[in-house]
Amino acid sequence: MLTGLGLVGFRNLEDRELEIPPEGVALVGRNAQGKSNFLEAVYYLEVFRSPRGTRDAHLISFHRDHFRLVGGLAPGGEVSAVTAAVQRGGSPTKKVTVDGREPERLGDAVGHLGAVLFTPGDVRLVSDGPGERRRFLDILLSVNHPGYLEALQRYRQVISHRNAALRSSAGPAAIQAWDALLSRPGGLVSAARAGWVRDVGEAFAEVYRTVADGEAATMEYRPATPGADDITIEGAADPDAWEARLRQALADSLEGDRERGATRPGPHRDDLRLRVLPEGSEEDEGETRDLREYGSGGQQRTAALALRMVEASTRARRLGRPPLLLLDDVFAELDEGRSRRILRLLDETATGQVLLTAPREADIRLRPGELARWTIEAGRIREAS
Amino acid sequence: MSVIEEAIREFSRLPGVGSRTATRLVHSLLRGTTADARRLARSIDELVERIRPCERCGTFAEEELCRICRDPARRGETVCVVESAFQVHSIDRTGEFRGRFHVLGGHLSPLDGIGPEELRIRELLDRVSRGDEGIREVILATNPSVEGEATAVYLEGVLRPLGVKVTRLARGLPVGSDLEFVDGLTLAEALSGRREM
Ligand SMILES: [Zn+2]
Repeated sequence: MLTGLGLVGFRNLEDRELEIPPEGVALVGRNAQGKSNFLEAVYYLEVFRSPRGTRDAHLISFHRDHFRLVGGLAPGGEVSAVTAAVQRGGSPTKKVTVDGREPERLGDAVGHLGAVLFTPGDVRLVSDGPGERRRFLDILLSVNHPGYLEALQRYRQVISHRNAALRSSAGPAAIQAWDALLSRPGGLVSAARAGWVRDVGEAFAEVYRTVADGEAATMEYRPATPGADDITIEGAADPDAWEARLRQALADSLEGDRERGATRPGPHRDDLRLRVLPEGSEEDEGETRDLREYGSGGQQRTAALALRMVEASTRARRLGRPPLLLLDDVFAELDEGRSRRILRLLDETATGQVLLTAPREADIRLRPGELARWTIEAGRIREAS
Repeated sequence: MSVIEEAIREFSRLPGVGSRTATRLVHSLLRGTTADARRLARSIDELVERIRPCERCGTFAEEELCRICRDPARRGETVCVVESAFQVHSIDRTGEFRGRFHVLGGHLSPLDGIGPEELRIRELLDRVSRGDEGIREVILATNPSVEGEATAVYLEGVLRPLGVKVTRLARGLPVGSDLEFVDGLTLAEALSGRREM
């Protein structure tokens, strides 16, 4: 549980030391006053990067040379404080601490808040290209799957070398030397993704059906590793199986990769396919429609929300307690029916601490009687009762 | 720029020496005897003039061949491949290894434009295939980094067809570290537990 938040030089937010009530806060403010920045600051302390993909240096207030965030956590937990600071410069320097010490690996620093962030921008998870969905999987698995972040970092490092080797005049042997190092971390990444999608697929469909009032949607892992079709549902989370397929796929694609100057097989080109079943049709009739291309705004928002809901339940399982829910204006642009059904789901999920934002008092629909009311104007937070 | 300022600037170019330390060093040289300063100057001069790569293994040498390559007690049938000449000393002081060395001059790193041609790999293959040293085993002691591992995999591939035994330093070395800074005990263990590739 988050007990305190220290803000220095972060975006438009005024420097503050805030005490966070155990049940949470409802932050009310008009648009562009800093509501989202407040939740972004909190979530930064969970993954140490901007959830909006903003570069660290651009998070520093206009006239300042650094930002610093301090998160205080309730006593009795594993960790009592996390901090992050970024100093402006030719190459900005970032310092992250957990209980005053700089962790050796980023993987040891992430996930101590146990937070899940819902924002209106989440619709891009569905409407944008596969890169957005890979980013979603990467952040989610980095905090929920031990060893994932290290495997991913290793994979990225090796693949940039392999791609550079493909574009150089080096012979096949100098490229294959990297294949041996790529398949292990690649296998770990694929297995974690496949295992997660398998485990939460039904929950995703359930949330979607509830919010969309009966309409059916599916989530499916689309690996960019040829030859992986024969991996069974039971074996989906087995890294050895993925490693073997990737090694073979890399060997098979060597010539084509050299022509293109890029590595084609591997989890860096995966997708998470989200589809709806038009009413009255059966799944095996092949009538499904890809939500990215054919989904309406409402369907896309619903699918994005369902992704966050299953993320929240994954987080809860991993933590053994309800996650800290960060809800940024969640009902924006949703029709009344969907909003009402989402509210019902959130009421069941949001049993822990909640930090939510809303443009007006009347928009605070989740636990309106319990949450402390704060306001924000031009980056200045006021703890009204 | 005055002579003193220039000296300070040169000293501050050394790793770990800031301008304050550089100033202190120059002042101390000026305070000491002229003979002390001359000896330092001569030593730096000789370092630059007399140290060159060994024609066989590539490590630091004062003559055509380095001290190790000239030592009749060292066995030529085992060659230990390292990335840099500084690592020769690290491995040698473990006392575990009585063969000769081969310095690659780096590791494969396509991102930095370093391919096999940029390293002393051709020279290594020549040494093995020429046969005059009677090389029977090549120990790959590249760094346990991603680049060092890839270099080892590559070398294994090109050495194997020459009919030589290829081994790799045992794991247990801290990942991402530089062999130069690994403590002797860890290095000695890694050497004795090397594995065939
Ligand atoms: Zn030599």
